[in-house]
Amino acid sequence: MESLQRRRWLVAAAVIAAALAVPLVTHDGYIIQLLNIAILNTIVVLGLNFVTGWAGQINFGQAAFYGLGAYTTAIATKSGLPWITTPFLSAIVVIAASLTLGLPTMRLRTYYLAMTTIGFGEIIRLIIVHWEPVTGGTSGLRAIPGISIFGIGPEGQAQHYYILVIALAVAILVAARVRHSALGRAMIATRDSEIAAEQSGVDTTRTKLAAFMIGAVYAGLAGCLYASSIRFISPDSFSGTQAILLMTMLIVGGMGSIVGCVFGAVALTILPEALRFLGQWYLVLYGLGVIAVIVLAPGGLASVASQLQLRRAGVR
Amino acid sequence: MGQLVVNGLALGSIYALVALGLLLIFNTVQIVNFAQGQLLMLGAFIGISCAVTHELPTAASWAVTMVAMALVGVVFMTLVYFPLRGRPAFLVILTTIAMGIVLENLALIIWGPLPVSLPSPVSGPPLRFAGVVISMHQLFIFATLAVILLLQFLFLTKTRFGILMQATAQDLHTARLVGIPVNRTIATAFALGTVLSGIAGLLVAPIFLAEPTMGGSLGLKGFVVSVIGGFGNLPGAVIGGLFLGLVETFGARYISSNFRDAYAFIVMIAVLIAWPRGLFGEKTSEKV
Repeated sequence: MESLQRRRWLVAAAVIAAALAVPLVTHDGYIIQLLNIAILNTIVVLGLNFVTGWAGQINFGQAAFYGLGAYTTAIATKSGLPWITTPFLSAIVVIAASLTLGLPTMRLRTYYLAMTTIGFGEIIRLIIVHWEPVTGGTSGLRAIPGISIFGIGPEGQAQHYYILVIALAVAILVAARVRHSALGRAMIATRDSEIAAEQSGVDTTRTKLAAFMIGAVYAGLAGCLYASSIRFISPDSFSGTQAILLMTMLIVGGMGSIVGCVFGAVALTILPEALRFLGQWYLVLYGLGVIAVIVLAPGGLASVASQLQLRRAGVR
Repeated sequence: MGQLVVNGLALGSIYALVALGLLLIFNTVQIVNFAQGQLLMLGAFIGISCAVTHELPTAASWAVTMVAMALVGVVFMTLVYFPLRGRPAFLVILTTIAMGIVLENLALIIWGPLPVSLPSPVSGPPLRFAGVVISMHQLFIFATLAVILLLQFLFLTKTRFGILMQATAQDLHTARLVGIPVNRTIATAFALGTVLSGIAGLLVAPIFLAEPTMGGSLGLKGFVVSVIGGFGNLPGAVIGGLFLGLVETFGARYISSNFRDAYAFIVMIAVLIAWPRGLFGEKTSEKV
């Protein structure tokens, strides 16, 4: 058991070292840009994990929160506000939106919740598409001012990459802390059985709402970083399709597992680019692959990995 | 004004049909099929392949489409529902969504991205009545909805198979214990539900053009309608469908046509906030 623990630390250290070394190995802007998007998606999926992985509530509105954060930041900086205000503005907007959606809907059951969150995402998308003077409509917003704190900011994609890696590390640490707090345990209890959780004194509605809000803040802040590091946003990046994609990242990686979130989000961000030669067939295989994972490995690929690891440790 | 009512009701009838297909499946296995819209799209394209590409007569192409859709329904069930029996509903939502993605992209590969039209199975001059024009196709949609509602009602309450289906819905394990061929019953429900969405596809294609991406929003509207009508409730689904058709048509005319697709969700969220189990109430409660 102890060797397993140590091996985990070694693996984590190796992953971090590899992540930090990437810009030294490749100067291909395309690859680093792709990794930047992968990191941003990971943060959003980590947020979704609070709601869906831990509190057990389906949520197809995550892409909309991502978009709200991105558009808030873009509109604020383009109208001249200093960048430093944007994380706060984005957080305020998504908290307000998540309360508006969450307060009335957190008592709804599976299907109803799935539909209201899909509906919420669609309404936000329609507003973004049709409020053209402010949001740029379908063509989106370009030349968004970058990250800058009192005039100091990153230059080039590699420096952005390091900033995003730091943001991801913070997101992971916060998620791990929350998981083992009273709130985190209340989320798990709510997921496992709402009735049992209520009987044990957990306020399940409040727990679900908290998970929903934390998840929205993750997405909102990732959106803020997206707008100011990718510098271009359009409604397509935050559509219902994107919401489903985020959900499949969570499922394929492994619901409830932080490692799974990272793995699922990075893999499913890079895979479509790597398999571009498949064209339309990629999405066909993608759909079938998601079904295969759900049917064969309901804990996602993270559970497959940990089972293999346990089996190997057991043999030794 | 009268014209808007007619158009709204025709649109609403299609939503109601999608909802009736959803309910057939939901009432048997308590599963909401999020690929219902993509199945509808598939029905429309199979119809187009028969009637336009191969120039089959209308009756033949409808028959081929319905048989094909029944088979699709059984395959769909085998892939998407069967391996997940007894597992959280949440997972089935995801497999049906994933299957929707598969169907949509297969359709893009087979039929291409361009919209195609399907001629209406009925022709003739439109009826004019006090300044309101009702096309033959609209009349045909109303008639089809009425016939299907009646048949579905009779099937569920008067035939042996329909009663078996309801028994399966109430308690799958007990149904199996008393000797009901549960798997065959479920397969039939999926086949019929898929046929219904195929029919909806055949009816939609002559009004809007058919394209591979048409399914998503129609499927969601069918779901909204089921929510408004209260899950499992046939008359509720029809009333909900007609209501939504009217809301959309009037909303597009008098408020803004840009937000046409948002009205359904706004109505649904409002209904759910007021009645968390839908207007006509879902009867079942959670089992402990």
